[in-house]
Amino acid sequence: MTPRDTAENRADRTLVHRAFAHLTGRSGAPVLYALMDDTPVGFLGLAAGPTGLRRLEFIGGEDPFVERLLALFPDQPVERSIALDKVRRELERYFAGRRFTFDTRVDLSGLTPFQRKVLGETVKVPAGQYTTYSQLAAKAGRPRAARAAGNALHDNPVAIIVPCHRVLRGDGSLGGYAGGLEAKAWLLRHEGVLL
Amino acid sequence: MTARRATDSDALSLLLAKHGLELARHLRRLVRDDDVATDLLQDTFLRAHGALSRLRPGSNERAWLYRIATNAALNHVRARARETAALERHAREPDVAAPSWLNDDQPGAGTGETDQRHTAVWARVAELPDRQRVALTLRVSDACDYDEIAHRMGGTAAGARANVHQALKRLRKEFR
Repeated sequence: MTPRDTAENRADRTLVHRAFAHLTGRSGAPVLYALMDDTPVGFLGLAAGPTGLRRLEFIGGEDPFVERLLALFPDQPVERSIALDKVRRELERYFAGRRFTFDTRVDLSGLTPFQRKVLGETVKVPAGQYTTYSQLAAKAGRPRAARAAGNALHDNPVAIIVPCHRVLRGDGSLGGYAGGLEAKAWLLRHEGVLL
Repeated sequence: MTARRATDSDALSLLLAKHGLELARHLRRLVRDDDVATDLLQDTFLRAHGALSRLRPGSNERAWLYRIATNAALNHVRARARETAALERHAREPDVAAPSWLNDDQPGAGTGETDQRHTAVWARVAELPDRQRVALTLRVSDACDYDEIAHRMGGTAAGARANVHQALKRLRKEFR
């Protein structure tokens, strides 16, 4: 997770964690974040805890993203980090079209069992293919819960890695997407889906 | 203590999240004592937070924090001037190897040097006039070019170059 975690980096981080604990009461495991500002689908924010990637979001800028993280993780320090370079490399490979799968570990804690099931089924849809909200609901064990499946995808904390863009409406229209429909269409075309 | 002390503590958290690591490193390198740097980092963010309302929108938040941190470190060093004088004796010890950056002014030449190496030279650095000491530390440990040094300390790049030059001249006299 932290290949460049030298003794000096650790010492710097200790100081920051002490400051967080003393000044703001945030003393849990730190949430690390990084930004990717020049992707084909715009500005992305990434955040990880000790057990995996917690967020991959389409964002408007650093401040609103950090403010969201501070609200999502109210007991934890949040720190900008160089440690997320593995997932950033995987995303760069993805955007370059060299590889469409990810080895990054994700942390889906905080979601309901149904949400996790829906996201788990979404991961199984390979690049270049797509499924529908109702097919996904059926695979997650609730065939009549297409809308609930849609909501679970809407709350997907790790876009692209859990490829919720590969889920369309039954009539073939795009449905919705947190990053906007333009981004959804770009991702699908990039993966070889003819829209 | 609750973690949700409303938006006030969030503004401080936002500053810490974005700039904490960089300023922790800056302070650790300036004062070369982690306990002192720990206190100075917290002072810096408390001061910054207290003055946040006076920061004009669009001004450079990062440079502003660097100035607050650098001033905090300088104040600390002045207060400890008598103690650093004791290090002078150590600096005079004859069997000290000079670090490479003393002869070769390349940014970052001293990056990664631990406190154990060239202790005497760093002790002498601690006794240099404030602006020389900070400029040299930024140059050698933080790999800053002169524009960046001027940016972090205030002043011009030419002034930063002069400060580094003066600092190196003094040190070379003593350690070569």
